[in-house]
Amino acid sequence: MLVVKDVSKRYGDFTALQQVNMEFNTGLYGLLAPNGAGKTTLIKMLATLITPSEGEIQYNGKNILEMDEQYRDLLGFLPQQFGYYKNYSPKQYMLYLAALKGIGKKEALQKIDELLDKVALSDVVNKKMKKFSGGMIQRVGIAQALLNDPKILILDEPTAGLDPKERARFRHLLTELARERLVIISTHIVSDIESIANEIIMIKNKQLLYKDSVEKICATLNGNVFETTIDFDYLEEFRKKYVLLSEKQEYGKMIVRFIHKGAPEMEWNSVPSQLEDVFLYEYRDVIEGEE
Amino acid sequence: MRILWNELKKIFTWKTMLLLLFINSVLYFLLIEFYIEYFPNGSEVYSYNIGVEMVEKYGATMDENEFIDFQKTYEDKAEEATQYLQSREDAVGNGLDTYEKFQAYDWQNSSQKASDLQGDIFFESEIDLFWELQEFERLIDFYNYRKSIPDVLTDNQRARLNELIAKEKFGVYTEIAMSNFKHFIANVGVAILFSVVLVISPMILKDRSRGILPLQYTSKKGRNLLKTKLLAGYIATFLVITGLLAVYFSLYSLNNTSMFFKVHVNTFIANESWYDPTFFQFIMLCVAAIYLIGFIFVTLSMSFSNVVPNLVSLIGIQIPFIVGFLIFGLSRLLPYMISVWNPKWLAPVSYGSMIIISFIIVYCLVKREKKVDVLM
Repeated sequence: MLVVKDVSKRYGDFTALQQVNMEFNTGLYGLLAPNGAGKTTLIKMLATLITPSEGEIQYNGKNILEMDEQYRDLLGFLPQQFGYYKNYSPKQYMLYLAALKGIGKKEALQKIDELLDKVALSDVVNKKMKKFSGGMIQRVGIAQALLNDPKILILDEPTAGLDPKERARFRHLLTELARERLVIISTHIVSDIESIANEIIMIKNKQLLYKDSVEKICATLNGNVFETTIDFDYLEEFRKKYVLLSEKQEYGKMIVRFIHKGAPEMEWNSVPSQLEDVFLYEYRDVIEGEE
Repeated sequence: MRILWNELKKIFTWKTMLLLLFINSVLYFLLIEFYIEYFPNGSEVYSYNIGVEMVEKYGATMDENEFIDFQKTYEDKAEEATQYLQSREDAVGNGLDTYEKFQAYDWQNSSQKASDLQGDIFFESEIDLFWELQEFERLIDFYNYRKSIPDVLTDNQRARLNELIAKEKFGVYTEIAMSNFKHFIANVGVAILFSVVLVISPMILKDRSRGILPLQYTSKKGRNLLKTKLLAGYIATFLVITGLLAVYFSLYSLNNTSMFFKVHVNTFIANESWYDPTFFQFIMLCVAAIYLIGFIFVTLSMSFSNVVPNLVSLIGIQIPFIVGFLIFGLSRLLPYMISVWNPKWLAPVSYGSMIIISFIIVYCLVKREKKVDVLM
């Protein structure tokens, strides 16, 4: 359906992505990587906002850039930073975007009511967006991406600014949408996609690291994730020896979750690996670097 | 069409309208009001009145027979002046009992009494007749020198003046209406230039700085939206210029110069031109030039708007172009665009070049936008 073929992107001397290959079919794909890993670059190339320096992206065998408006007609997109006119109401703004998407006014008005209801904004349809919270704006963004009933829905950090209840509602909406279309979500928040993504894509060192189901990606660390209880004084030394995934203080001791690829010690409990474990393990250098 | 309408609505907000009103109110009172409020200014009223009479009596031109009539009118008025002087004891006492003597008197070395007499006639009693006579004399002088050509001329200028003389197109009508219009239109040009640039230039930048491009460019319309934005910019420019011209020309109509409309530009004193449109045609030419200047500067503004990072840089980058044009271009390319004192090629070549550059800019903008990475 949508194929990324030998795609590289360079900005002057800096390479953001190198020789990336992947395929997308109907379903929900979670693009998971820390900030700065090239998620947005890939997303923007899929949305035709930036052009690959090498390679091409094809939809049903045709280059998406050559397909031009034919491709964009299939596309719903929510960028990371969602721009809007402060003095417009969601309805006005979506009507404006509907015109750009080639949707007739009558049809658009009906669709706008339906979508704003879906994202729980039906009470503020005619209120100016300058009074909206970050979460409300984000919901307008999600609604606008669905205006043209897209075959390909690309969402860059869609849950930024949403509260837990809104996130849950959003996950439900995405699962529903992904039944009959391709949905790509870029995020660095594992919980947003862990339970709903058909496949997870991870990018590391400018290249594709994983593109597989959550189970298969987690299986890469099977038997290597442990939990144990240690003295607080031993924590520093422990950190140096193992890749720590989480630490929790309890009764004056530390319960640590960590990765070890050699023979385990007696007091360690082997635990099932989770997507977050893989994420923390694979991007550990980046994480340390960020700290 | 809906997209175009939306883009136009984004330009014409109430804030824009207020800005437009503010700029034009300030510039009107600073630059334009004088040429409406004070026309004709002071003693120019005599020149204006005589000019109106000349047009009514002789039409758009004055031939030799008509000049004889004009001179006869002058002589009659001079006789009236003589009668007036003879009715005043102080004039007779000073030996100024005829207008001829009054005119020939050495006013540089005048006696106190003669000086008082002159002051009274011109400034205290304000005898219109004496002012009128002065204007008659000025016009007669110009008529008498109609075939003379200044020394400091280029070959082309000399050839043009000779051509005008050969065609008997002499500058003999009072220049007051033309001169007033030239000042008026130059200042209207300034007001309109500032108006269109300030109103239109932020339009493309705003969408970019607000981060709306990613949504616009991933829609079906996509990057072709720039063409619609440019079109909206030009339509808005047309509307702003038309609206402002309507307002300013309504004000100009108060000057009541329509009787001069059929007079050809070369017939006005000191107004030798490369072409010979009527005053009305010249007004239309200036209007066309204002539209052209507006469109050219809006093209420049929109291209900067598509490149610069913020409003301050947008204004900053345009200042040299606008100031440069106001200093070097406006006068030569608007009120004096056909004047023989500027090279004949100057206006057509300048406008031609600016139009070609505008087309190139638009072409490059659209081409660049097709490929440019939208990074924000």
